[in-house]
Amino acid sequence: MDRAISQPKPGETTWLWLLKLVTGVLVVLILGTHLIVQHLVSPEGLLTFEQVVEWVSNPWVALMEGTFLVLAVCHALMGVRSVLLDLRPSQGAIRIIDITFLIVGVVAIGYGFWLLRAIQAHGVG
Amino acid sequence: MTTNTNENRALIWKALSWFDVRWRAPGTWAFALNRITALGLALYLSIHLVVLSTLATGKDAYQAFLDAVNMPVIHFGSYLVVVAGIYHGLNGLRIALTSFGIAVRYQKPIFAGILLFTIIVSLYVFLQMFHII
Repeated sequence: MDRAISQPKPGETTWLWLLKLVTGVLVVLILGTHLIVQHLVSPEGLLTFEQVVEWVSNPWVALMEGTFLVLAVCHALMGVRSVLLDLRPSQGAIRIIDITFLIVGVVAIGYGFWLLRAIQAHGVG
Repeated sequence: MTTNTNENRALIWKALSWFDVRWRAPGTWAFALNRITALGLALYLSIHLVVLSTLATGKDAYQAFLDAVNMPVIHFGSYLVVVAGIYHGLNGLRIALTSFGIAVRYQKPIFAGILLFTIIVSLYVFLQMFHII
């Protein structure tokens, strides 16, 4: 186990590997707050609709949840890409994976931010 | 063509063999658990994002989602997500530390500590989530 240190694999640049590590650490840090507030503070384990709207309407919370969304999506996609790289795909296949994951990432993050705004809108007025 | 197919099969088999942890070192256990929890959490993240769209629809749709979450199967699935999150998060921190040369010599005890912590916290969360305590 002493030599089993994580390092970039073929098809993964050092920057991408580093970004996967950094986003992972940041996700862990923010996930603590996210889990405690969303699932442990509420007696039933999940916030009511009104509580969610109130929670997300706080701009600092919205910033935290938005950051969490970006970090989690990026980390997940880089992680799944890393798993796929173990299957030693061809350069062409890696390119298809990269383009697909880029589109999925942009759509997921865009959708997440739209959702945040839509929830906040329920609290207006 | 046949050679390529055989090579591909060998590569896929080699990649999957990481998950066969029988008689393997703790590092393989750590890796396999990390991979399994990673894939599970990635799947959960995508489902989580889609399901939360009920919040945009309104209170009734969100209430229907909450009712569904309380179904035993989904409740147990949520529990597995929490367990996977605890292990993957802590093991990820270990990987991040050792990747920068920190505590490399103590990887085995750290991994053992992570497993122990995950088991203890998982037990507590189980008792909490299923209203046993």
